[in-house]
Amino acid sequence: MTAPTDVTPRRARLAPDWLLRTEVGLCPCGCLGKPRRRNLVARTLRGLSELVRRAMFSDDVAGAPGLLPRLDARVKVVTLLGLVVVAAFLRSIPMLGAMYVAAVAVAWMSRLPLRSFLARVWLFVPVFTGFVVLPATLNVVTPGTIVVPLGTWLGGSVGFTAEGLESAGLIVMRVALSTSLVVLLTLTTPWARLLAALRSLRVPTTVILVVAMAYRYVFHLLTAVDDMYTARRARTVGRDLDFRSGRRFVAASAGALFGKAHALSEEVYLAMVARGFTGEVRLLERNRVATRDVIWCVMCTLAAAAVLWGDRVVG
Amino acid sequence: MGAECTHCSPGPVHRTVAWLQSRRIWRGGDPGGDVHIPDGYLSPQTCAVMYGAAVPFWLAGARRLRKVVKTRFVPLLALGAAYCFLVMMFNIPVPDGTTAHAVGGVLVAVLLGPWAAVIAVSVALGIQALFFGDGGVLAFGANCCNMAVAMTFTGYAVYKVMAGRAPLTAPRRAIAAGVGAYVGINVAALCAAIEFGLQPDLFYKTTASGAHVPLYAPFHLSQTVPAMLLAHLLVAGVAELVLTAGVITYLQRANLPILRINQRTVSERDGERVGAASRVPLRGLLVGLGALLALVPLGLLAAGGAFGEDRPGDLDLKRYGLDAVPSGLARYSDFWSRALLPGYDFRHGAHPNVGYYVSAVVGTVLVAGLMFVAFRLATLAHRRRRTAPARVTAVEVGNERVEV
Repeated sequence: MTAPTDVTPRRARLAPDWLLRTEVGLCPCGCLGKPRRRNLVARTLRGLSELVRRAMFSDDVAGAPGLLPRLDARVKVVTLLGLVVVAAFLRSIPMLGAMYVAAVAVAWMSRLPLRSFLARVWLFVPVFTGFVVLPATLNVVTPGTIVVPLGTWLGGSVGFTAEGLESAGLIVMRVALSTSLVVLLTLTTPWARLLAALRSLRVPTTVILVVAMAYRYVFHLLTAVDDMYTARRARTVGRDLDFRSGRRFVAASAGALFGKAHALSEEVYLAMVARGFTGEVRLLERNRVATRDVIWCVMCTLAAAAVLWGDRVVG
Repeated sequence: MGAECTHCSPGPVHRTVAWLQSRRIWRGGDPGGDVHIPDGYLSPQTCAVMYGAAVPFWLAGARRLRKVVKTRFVPLLALGAAYCFLVMMFNIPVPDGTTAHAVGGVLVAVLLGPWAAVIAVSVALGIQALFFGDGGVLAFGANCCNMAVAMTFTGYAVYKVMAGRAPLTAPRRAIAAGVGAYVGINVAALCAAIEFGLQPDLFYKTTASGAHVPLYAPFHLSQTVPAMLLAHLLVAGVAELVLTAGVITYLQRANLPILRINQRTVSERDGERVGAASRVPLRGLLVGLGALLALVPLGLLAAGGAFGEDRPGDLDLKRYGLDAVPSGLARYSDFWSRALLPGYDFRHGAHPNVGYYVSAVVGTVLVAGLMFVAFRLATLAHRRRRTAPARVTAVEVGNERVEV
C-alpha cells in the first residue's frame, strides 16, 4: 500500500495518516480481499470518512505557502469564478486546452499535489462525462461527416462524425477546465475565508451565517451518524442486511438524525439568544489587497481577454 | 500488488479495481440518483436564466420564514441544511440488492414546510458545490431550480393532496410522503433532462460544411428525457420513496412532536378534529365540481366522435382487411342501448342538449355517491381494526415520547 501522497511539506498536517490511507481488506497484501459488495452500512461509513478526509485535506493544503493560498480570498473568488464563466463561453478546443494548461501551471505554483490534482479531473472526467458523451459522437445523435465508419446497422451506416467528436472534445475539455478552476479555489481557500470573501462580495449576511452554521454542524451531525452506523456494524455478525431490514435501519437512522438536528437547532438558538443574538449578524472582515493580488487580477484579465480573442480567431 | 499474494488469487478485473480504489480514482459507484449538473453541460445563458428563476423562490422563502419563525430561523435552517447534506450521503437500499443516494427535498418539505425545504436544500447544494466540488458553480441555479424548487413543491403538493385530512399517525401520510418524493425526484430529473435537451438546438456552431457542432450537452430532448426518466423511475425514485416513507413511518412511531412542526392543525388520531380547517377541502371539491359541470356545454361544441367510441357502422372495414362487421361485435355492440341515458341523451332524442347536460349531472352524482359509500365502508372497517388491542401499545409509545 502506498503512503499518503497528499502531504504538504512545510506544515504539520491536520489529517491523521489512517484517515488518508485507503481502507484495506482483510488480506494483508492490500488487495480487496474477496471481491464482495460492501453493504450499505459500510458504504455510508466510507462516504462519511471520505467527506472528512476531503475537508481536512483541503484545510491542510489551504495553509501551504504557494501562489494561490497567499492571495486575498475575494480576489480568488472573483477571478477564478470569472474564469469559469469565460470557459463556459469558449467554443474551440485549443483555447480550452490552453486555459487548462495554465490552470495546471497555477496549481503547480500553488504547490498543490499535482498528481492528485490531475487525477481528480482526468480520472473523473473520462469515466463520467466521457461515457455519457460517447454515444453523442455517433451520427445517430450528431449528424455530419462520418470519419470513423462502424459498418451498417439497421439499414443505415453508423460511425463517428467529425462534428460529434469535436462536440465531445469541447464538452470534456470544458468540464475538465471548470472542475479544475473550482478545485483550485476550494483547495487553496479555508472555508472561513471563503465565506468572509462571499460576505464582502455583497452576499447577504443571513445567507453567510446559515451556510457557516450548516457547514459547522454537518461535521457535528456526522459524528452522530457515524456513531449509529458504527454501532450497527459492530452488532452485525454474518450476513449483510437484507432489503427489508436495511430499509428500516436507514429510515430509523435518518429519522433519529432529524430529531437530533431539530433538538440541536433549538439549543443553538437558545444559546445564541443567551449571548445577545437579536437577528442582526455581524462578521469579522479582513480586507487587505496586496500588490500580488493586483498583479494576479491583471494577469487573469489579460488571460481571459487573450483566450476570448483567440477563440474568435480560431473558432 | 496482488501478484505475490498468498491469500487470494485476484484476476485481472479484480486487480484493476483494487488499483483504481487504492489510488482513490474509483470508489465503486452507486447507480442513478444523481441529478447534480456539473459545470460545462449547460450554456452560460441557460445558467443565468436558471439563477434568475431560482432567486424569487429564495427571496420569498427567506421572507416567509423570517415572518413565521422570526430570529429562530437561522439555526433552524442551518441545521435543516446540514441534515439535507447528510441525508444526501445515506446509501438507501433499492430492491435489486444495490444502493442509491437520495436528495431528501420532499422529506424536509414534509417535516419543515416547502419554503424551509427550498432554502435548506439550496444551502446543502451550495456547500456541495463550493466546498466539495460536487455539482457546478455556474449550474448551481439550475440545480436549485430542479432539486430545491421543482422537486420540493411538486412532491409536497402530491403529499398534501394524497394525505388529505388523514390523522398524523395514519399510514396514509407515510405513503403520501413516499409517493410525493417519488414524483418529486422524477420531476427534478425531467427538468434536468429538458435543460440538457434544449442545449444542442439552441447553442451550436456551424462548420464550413454547414453541419452543426453542439457546444454544450449534445443530446436532444428525445434522448435525454427517456434516459433520465428511466434511471429515476426505476432506481433513484425508489430510493427517494423508501427513505421518505420510512422516515415518516419511524417518526409516527417514535417522535410524533417532530411531525407536528409542519402540521399543527392535523389531529393525531382518528375522531379528533383540530381547528376549522377540516371543512375547506370539501368546499374546494364542490367548487371544482361545480366549475366542471358549468363547463359541460363545451362537449357539445366539439365536432366528430370521441376516439375509440365509433359505432360498428362507422368503422373503415377495408383498413382492417375485413369484409363485414365481426358477428360478436355486431351482437354485443347494441347491448348497452338499453341503458338509462343511451348516448348521453334521452331515449326519444327530442332535446339532445338537455339530455347531454342531464347525463353529466346524473353521472357525477352517481360516481360521487358510489365513492362516498365506498369510503364510508372503508373507514368503518379501518375503525373496527383500530379498536383491536394492538392499538394500545402504539398510544403508549406515543405518550412516552411526548416527554422527549
